[in-house]
Amino acid sequence: MKKAINWFKAALVMLVTLTMLVNCVSGVQAAQAPKATDNYLQKVKQKGELIMGTSPDFPPYEFVKNVNGKSKVYGMDIEVGKKIAHDMGVKLVVKTMDFDSLLVALETGKVDMVISGMSASPKRAKSVAFSQVYYASGQDLIIRKADAGKYHNFHSFDGKAIAAQTGSLQSDLIKKQAPKVTLKTMDKDSDLILALQTHKFDAVAVDSASADAYVKNTTGIINIRSGFKDKSVGSSVAFHKGAQSLVNAANKSIDEIKAKDLIKKDYLPMAGKYLASNGKSKKSAKIDNSMWAYKDFFVAGVGYTLFISLISVFFGFLLGAILALMRLSRNKVAHSIATAYIEFVRGTPLMVQLLFIYFGLGLVVNIPALLSGIIAVSLNSASYVAEVIRSGINSIAPGQTEASRSLGMSRTETMRYVIMPQAMKNIWPALGNEFVSLIKESSIVSVIGVKDLIYQSRIVQADTYRGVMPLVITMILYFIITFSLSSLMKVFEGKMKHE
Amino acid sequence: MSNEEPLIKVEHLKKTFGNNEVLKDINAEVKDGQVICLIGPSGAGKSTFLRCLNLLDQPTSGKVIFEDKELTSLSEDELNTLREKMGMVFQQFNLFPHMSVLENLKLAPMKVKHVADEVATAKAKELLAQVGLADKADAFPASLSGGQQQRVAIARALAMDPEMMLFDEPTSALDPEMVGEVLKVMQDLAQKGMTMVVVTHEMGFAKNVANQVWFMADGYIQEKATPSEFFAHPKTERAQDFLAKVLEA
Repeated sequence: MKKAINWFKAALVMLVTLTMLVNCVSGVQAAQAPKATDNYLQKVKQKGELIMGTSPDFPPYEFVKNVNGKSKVYGMDIEVGKKIAHDMGVKLVVKTMDFDSLLVALETGKVDMVISGMSASPKRAKSVAFSQVYYASGQDLIIRKADAGKYHNFHSFDGKAIAAQTGSLQSDLIKKQAPKVTLKTMDKDSDLILALQTHKFDAVAVDSASADAYVKNTTGIINIRSGFKDKSVGSSVAFHKGAQSLVNAANKSIDEIKAKDLIKKDYLPMAGKYLASNGKSKKSAKIDNSMWAYKDFFVAGVGYTLFISLISVFFGFLLGAILALMRLSRNKVAHSIATAYIEFVRGTPLMVQLLFIYFGLGLVVNIPALLSGIIAVSLNSASYVAEVIRSGINSIAPGQTEASRSLGMSRTETMRYVIMPQAMKNIWPALGNEFVSLIKESSIVSVIGVKDLIYQSRIVQADTYRGVMPLVITMILYFIITFSLSSLMKVFEGKMKHE
Repeated sequence: MSNEEPLIKVEHLKKTFGNNEVLKDINAEVKDGQVICLIGPSGAGKSTFLRCLNLLDQPTSGKVIFEDKELTSLSEDELNTLREKMGMVFQQFNLFPHMSVLENLKLAPMKVKHVADEVATAKAKELLAQVGLADKADAFPASLSGGQQQRVAIARALAMDPEMMLFDEPTSALDPEMVGEVLKVMQDLAQKGMTMVVVTHEMGFAKNVANQVWFMADGYIQEKATPSEFFAHPKTERAQDFLAKVLEA
């Protein structure tokens, strides 16, 4: 799956480049802005807001915390973002998504800047513009406490594996500096820690500040110096390539942050405060990591998952029925369009379709993540529903149509009153199946930052430093939803029986 | 009831399925109130001919003229309006299994003619009584015997007040003991003056009820005669052959 995203990203970057080329060649937008006088800063000021993209599973840089019943993204990166926005005289808006999706979001204009503990690697610098470094910290390895003394730095892992977040600086460092070490990657830091605890591998490479935070909040792990020679030293703010005006503005703010040492004095302690507390009432008490304390997250997740599913079931069914009728139609154009659509959509992964709608179409029209998710899931489901309905219609004997037509009923009336009711009864169990899998597959929308059940369980994992419990609860919640649906479908199935 | 103008008239009707020429050159007319029995060996094209009359099958060439209108040149909408005037009864009954008997009878009058519910219900009950199934109004088709289903199918076609009825081997799928009840209903209908074209293998019915017997074979109507003429003195060798085989059995 990981690979699919990377492939897709590569393809998307090519698409973006191509589009730009085409634009240049056609001369539609040929007037290229001079470097220093680009209008990015002006646009942000006109909007009155600066949109920051971040992946909030990286404490103390950025993480989600439930404070006074409201879950929000906190962390030192957020403070840096606020400072930059404040200096520009605009409001900061934080958008969350997978680390992997951040740069694509930047390139496609979903966000104005990315601050996510991201370092300015030469590879990244090719596609985006970086500010100066705002914070430098070393690289650590997190290991299990039981292994203390056994490992000293990355050289101790020759012939073994070290894990790091996909696409991160640490994964690059391992590849370049530790050729004898096998690199394992996962999407989320919280998953990495969980996998470490369950002996999937023996070490996780993370940034020192982050390692400190994890070790402080998780039992059974410790951090050691990694021993990597880290030339990129530290995190920078990423902007759209060519947005020199924004880079300049950010650099000015960072100059001030550095001069006043704001990160060490203000931002990190503030982040630490949120990280350690779980709401005001428990300032000094033991951190409440019980799942009950996070019920609001799960409730919100169930809400989003149900919302997406219900709307997608409705539109998926509607569009599916239309596609089925088009495919059965005698009109060759309608038939071909429906057939091509169904075959294409069934033949490509939902994840790619989702990323295409969010990022790809995002180049033309800006579709919010939630809407993109609903559109992708509906369009995808429609193709499956269409085939189920088509098989249902085909299962009705031609004599039914003949009898109906001989009574003077039109093609449409025949379909509506005679064929469809019988077809629906025949395909009801298959439709139920399709809806159940739609609910499960809607979980893919978490990739682009829609706050569904999966997304929330990730947040809870990152927040509580507990890996398994949130997964168990998520599984149970999904099961309750899908089982309720299939029971409901059975009730209706019973009502359709005729003796 | 002038017997001069035919209710339906067929001219040079041809129908081919792929390379198979089923109807070669059919010319015929049915007058108001006539009962026509179409008989002949299987594969002769009797059912295809019947289905061409209400355009369930599109003729390859030729004309079908009903109420002075040439059906093959009509639009879909106009065709729907004319079809409701030609009731059709099928070998396999083709009742709508997801509806009760009463709903089967009410569907088309309510949806096509926009008859009010109470009116349609009253009419449906009257027709069910006419075919001897007043007590089955709320039953579903699956719970009825073949004979009962076919009687419901006849009542369903009558609910549209058709000007003529087409019967496509209405008793061929029935157990022998149920054939009589269906033929009885058809005979009653004929006596009330309904114009009927009946594809059948029931020679007794043809003898007793039909005004004319049309003998079909090899894609042509070979003979048209009154039943007494036809059964006593078939003219063509093809018909003599057929009758010899049928009556022997």
